Amino acid sequence: MSVIDLLTRVDTICNKYDKYDVERHRESNLSGDDAFARLYATVDADIEALNQKAETASKEKGKASAVAINAEIRRTKARLLEEVPKLQKLAVKKVKGLSSQEFAARNDLVPALPERIQAIPDGTPAAPKQTGGWASSGSRPDIKFDSDGRFDDEYFQQTEESSRFRNEYEMRRIKQDQGLDVIVEGLDTLKDMAHDMNEELDRQVPLMDEIDTKVGQAASDLKNTNVRLKDTVIQLRSSRNFCIDIVLLIIILGIAAYLYNVLKK
Amino acid sequence: MAASDPNKLIAKADKLTRLSLTRWNADWRNATVLYEQAANGFRLAKDYEKAKIAFEKASKGQEMLSSPWDAAKHMESAAALAKELSNWREAADFYRKASELYMECDRPQPASDALGKGARALEDAMPEEAVQLYADACTILEEDGKEQMTFDLYRAASSVYIKLEKYTDAASVMLNLGLAADKCNATNSQCKAYLGAIIIYLYAHDFKQAQKCYNDCSQIDAFLSSDQSRCASKFLAAYTDGDVEEIKRIAQSSAVSHLDHVIIKLARKLPTGDVSGFKTATAEDDEQLDEDDLT
Repeated sequence: MSVIDLLTRVDTICNKYDKYDVERHRESNLSGDDAFARLYATVDADIEALNQKAETASKEKGKASAVAINAEIRRTKARLLEEVPKLQKLAVKKVKGLSSQEFAARNDLVPALPERIQAIPDGTPAAPKQTGGWASSGSRPDIKFDSDGRFDDEYFQQTEESSRFRNEYEMRRIKQDQGLDVIVEGLDTLKDMAHDMNEELDRQVPLMDEIDTKVGQAASDLKNTNVRLKDTVIQLRSSRNFCIDIVLLIIILGIAAYLYNVLKK
Repeated sequence: MAASDPNKLIAKADKLTRLSLTRWNADWRNATVLYEQAANGFRLAKDYEKAKIAFEKASKGQEMLSSPWDAAKHMESAAALAKELSNWREAADFYRKASELYMECDRPQPASDALGKGARALEDAMPEEAVQLYADACTILEEDGKEQMTFDLYRAASSVYIKLEKYTDAASVMLNLGLAADKCNATNSQCKAYLGAIIIYLYAHDFKQAQKCYNDCSQIDAFLSSDQSRCASKFLAAYTDGDVEEIKRIAQSSAVSHLDHVIIKLARKLPTGDVSGFKTATAEDDEQLDEDDLT
């Protein structure tokens, strides 16, 4: 039996008799209990981390990195807010080994979480707080001017920086648009040329076919002619015919010479 | 043989062909050979008049010998020489004769080529004759089913018409081009032809005709979904708005720059005349439509 077979068999046996493992169940219950505490601990740790990040964001000089960090914080906050209902459900579950006070305390802890999460600054001016602030300061006119003035100053500074940022963004966008326009022109020309080439090739195809057939015909004619020529030449220059011709010629010359001699006499 | 005087050769060949008491049958075979040699000799000597006559006679000889192909070739040479001599009428006649001889050989391609060469030669001197030759050349090719070759001929014919300022004829030639392109599925040429026709109508300041042309051409799917149709609709919209700047801007666009250079010149000269007239005409239509919508 191979090792793998052994392992599978052991696994199946364990799974079969798992329900009799009392100790493990108790442990899981405890960890279930710890599940709430664990989740709560993680959420807590996350909130602390976010607070840290928010502090670094406020200290950040570069606008872009500050914006990026704020976006990150906002994302994590949304995630944590989703975890809260889970915690709520876990808190309601009655678990063994938990005193009733602790249970009540848990139920109080959970609602406090969303407020803590929202309280993490993420760069967005919290509007409801401000209106609340103004509403409250409306009843105290002397404080109102200061806070208004301070907000105005801060806002002005922001718009100066942001207006520079916006200008830079506009400039870059215009340059990109110009570059893209050039590319568009080039691509249009390319497309037109490609279409024309396509049509030209379509035009050439039947002509090439004609050339093909004509050349094929000419080639076969040539082959025929070559074969016939070869036959004729062989016939003409075959050595037997040649020798016969020479011999006959000599005989004729001999006869002519003999006749000449006879006539001369 | 080539060294002997071409004049003497011609005289000799003439003697061979002239019927007289001693000669009952003209000896065309030898005569044709002599005529060809004489013609080449004259051409080398740059005596175009005599060379032309020699080629004519050689062609006649070949015809008598029942070889229309050679006859047509000689006729074409004679026509080219006639062109050199600025003898336009004769050149036109020779080219036509050559084309007929090619058709006798059952070769429509060279026939239309001959007519095309003739038309090109006559473009400046006798433009009406030239467009007639172009039209005949295109007919020959279309009968043979070779519309692909007609594009260049149509384009040349349309530019001749534009030079003659016969804009409706030019536009109709472009529409014929579009039709031929449609048969070959050459959508790019087709759309460019239609856009060219619309621009020609606009240049002739015939807005209604241009619009009608655009509507007709939009029936064709290939044109409807093409860049050229968008350009055309922009042109028509700019005309209805009476926006001269817009018209000039569209004329600089890339769709127009890919057309024939003659048509690009027309487009750059747009708008001709007063565009505000169109604006009021269409504004009235719009008002009528609005009233209908309200009710």
